[in-house]
Amino acid sequence: MSSAHSMIMCPVCGGQVIIENTDKVNLCSYCASPILGPDQSRNCTNHPDILATEVCHVCGDLICGECTEKRVGDYGGKLLTIVNCSKESCIAASEWARPLNEEYQSLANMDWADKSDNFILRITGIGAVVMMVFELVFILGMLYLQYFTSHSALLPKILFSGDIVIILMVLGNILAAILLQTSLQVYVHERQLVSGAILLVMLIVEVAYLLWRGLYFNLLFLEDPLFLTVLLLALLFGTLLVFVGSLGAIYVGNKKRVQMKNARKQLNLSIQHEIERL
Amino acid sequence: MSEENKVYTIFDRPAGLRFVGLLQMAFGLFGLIASIGIVGAILIGGPSILDGMGYIYSVLIFVGVALPCLIIGNYVDDLRKNAVTAQVIYSLMAMGLTGFFIAVRGLHYIWTVPLFETEIVVAIGNLAALILVSQAFIILYLILNWHRVVPPDDVEVVRDRKEAKQIEMGLVPSPLSPTLMGSDGTTELSDEDSQRIMDVHKVVSVGGMAVLCSNCNGATPLSKAKDNKLQCDYCGVTLGVGNVFVPCKNHSEYLAATTCAVCGDHFCRKCLTAQTPPIDDRWTASTIFMCQTCFEGRYRPAVTTTSFVIPIDQLFSTAGARFATVGKIYRRFLGAYGGVLKAIFGWPLALLGSFGKKDDDGKRRGGGGGWGGGNLDLSGLGSSGGDADACVGIILMIVIIIIAIPIIAGILMAVGALVFIPLLFYAGLIAVTFEAVKVIRRTDFQSLDSVRIQSVVEKKQPKAKQSTLRPYTRTWEEDFFAQSLERRREERKREEERRRRRGERTRAESFWGGGRGY
Ligand SMILES: [Zn+2]
Ligand SMILES: [Zn+2]
Ligand SMILES: [Zn+2]
Ligand SMILES: [Zn+2]
Ligand SMILES: [Zn+2]
Ligand SMILES: [Zn+2]
Repeated sequence: MSSAHSMIMCPVCGGQVIIENTDKVNLCSYCASPILGPDQSRNCTNHPDILATEVCHVCGDLICGECTEKRVGDYGGKLLTIVNCSKESCIAASEWARPLNEEYQSLANMDWADKSDNFILRITGIGAVVMMVFELVFILGMLYLQYFTSHSALLPKILFSGDIVIILMVLGNILAAILLQTSLQVYVHERQLVSGAILLVMLIVEVAYLLWRGLYFNLLFLEDPLFLTVLLLALLFGTLLVFVGSLGAIYVGNKKRVQMKNARKQLNLSIQHEIERL
Repeated sequence: MSEENKVYTIFDRPAGLRFVGLLQMAFGLFGLIASIGIVGAILIGGPSILDGMGYIYSVLIFVGVALPCLIIGNYVDDLRKNAVTAQVIYSLMAMGLTGFFIAVRGLHYIWTVPLFETEIVVAIGNLAALILVSQAFIILYLILNWHRVVPPDDVEVVRDRKEAKQIEMGLVPSPLSPTLMGSDGTTELSDEDSQRIMDVHKVVSVGGMAVLCSNCNGATPLSKAKDNKLQCDYCGVTLGVGNVFVPCKNHSEYLAATTCAVCGDHFCRKCLTAQTPPIDDRWTASTIFMCQTCFEGRYRPAVTTTSFVIPIDQLFSTAGARFATVGKIYRRFLGAYGGVLKAIFGWPLALLGSFGKKDDDGKRRGGGGGWGGGNLDLSGLGSSGGDADACVGIILMIVIIIIAIPIIAGILMAVGALVFIPLLFYAGLIAVTFEAVKVIRRTDFQSLDSVRIQSVVEKKQPKAKQSTLRPYTRTWEEDFFAQSLERRREERKREEERRRRRGERTRAESFWGGGRGY
């Protein structure tokens, strides 16, 4: 019915699909997504009355959930999931990939934490970004005070004017960068608990260091208090966000730790068990 | 970056490895200058310290320092196992030699080298200590980071910069032209026609599950499909029906386009992003599709895990095997080294020879011809003896050029560094902040759907590169990679063992067979 010149497009990538099998799956010639042949039934090859849900990666047969075996294979360092049917030849051809441990998968499933993790990442992330921007502005402000205003008389120095200010500010920048890096780690399931705790400690160090720098640089004696006010407000805002976020990370991270511990216990995957087996 | 991890392209090499390469090249350059400088010094009128040993010193420095450092330094940062091994061995030898030297001469040993009217004091003892310490650091770094600086045997490393750049950019791969297609799927639509199609508000019709068009993003009800083909209601192209009749995990109103390559769940074009595939001959497609969860590293495949303990004896045997391969590689390296030596050694001599001839003839000669085998014999040097002064002058000039250029460049760079390093540091912090904001806002996840609109509007293939902070969230990929390496190594060992046994058996059989024959 379609005109002779019309080409069949891959619904995934838009590449051309060349139909070679009318009753079997064809592969997109570009991205290799499976495309059904024109006469192909949409049901499982083994169960003609059940709608298929997967395509066997080896033989290309349509299969239902019952006939499906999921495996995880390492392709050049990327872990990809493949699916094979229950035919012996297809199982043998997929042997190099390891079967997905569905029981462990369901016990280790952490989808429940997605919402809270997203929230925690945003909170700590925004807080840490505020702290970072704060430090980046702070160093510029201090350089300005040091070299362009009379406040420089109140600033400490050892060898040349500004040396101590620059060193302390650069240290502050590095501290804020580490804080930012750590704040992104709360999104990783197995690092959440530890990074939350580290974040809390680092936050205390950073805030103490900041306040000390403010006092040491005599910022209380600034002629125009606006700079100091803005700095303090930003600091308060960032600190609050990171503080709440790190507490959340510790709480959720601990819940995940307990879940994993129980999952391993239930499946007898503990290290102790392995040692006894040896 | 605990970066970084699996190594596919030249851009994946750790910064430290890069530094090792540059440091080694710098030593090589230094050695080259020193060996040329010694020859120059002899020709000017040798300082007493050299006492006729000058040429030997020069050749020793050239062969022992300049050549190996330049060659190894050039290759060591290319993620090559042989080069890294050679570097470790060379560093060990250098440490041994300098350590011996310091032990014999002491740390405060100084050379006074006359140069023209003045003298330079070279703190040879300190120099040796510097070499000793830096080589120790190199060895420590290479061994501690072995997995990162040496890619596994069966992974292809893309060293071609252009190709690597493409992989690195992770350009969203699509064969579709960046403009909208006509209903035949090949001609491009005019701007007005495209605009009209894009302006239609694309809602799902009441006909149930719909298919998202890969050309215009329009949703056409699946019920209109005939012979597993579907005409897009909006732009008219013919779409194949992909995959199976499973709705998108996130949108029950759309048919899933394909499965996520990582978690294996079904998703529509709004929920998938495309990436360039891993370099592996088993993966034949040009693209991998990934859902947002997997892109963000939230899903960790739980493969059947039986062992959390590595038996100690196994550990020792792999270590032993590694030593054996080191020996093998070193033999191979020596062979290659000898070959390169032969090729390069003739070059400076040929250069000298051609200068001599040029003066003799008083004619201009093309220097290019001297690279072949013909001019390489030493008699060329002897023939220039009559005009030795001119020759010495030219050599001096070369020496000055070779020494002056790096010194001037060094001073310029030092001055520049004072200004640029703080600026770069500051710029780097700003860049990190931007990347973090990208991750927090998720703007580095680009769905097929949004990328298509972007390409139609901007009329060029969109780039979509994941934030450089992303790999940090997929920690388990690294773990698994290390595990599978270990497994592969074991398999190879078992295979070898099997082959060895098989070999023994056939030998034994033929022995008995021969006996029976008698
Ligand atoms: Zn395709
Ligand atoms: Zn199959
Ligand atoms: Zn079935
Ligand atoms: Zn369309
Ligand atoms: Zn996925
Ligand atoms: Zn979807």
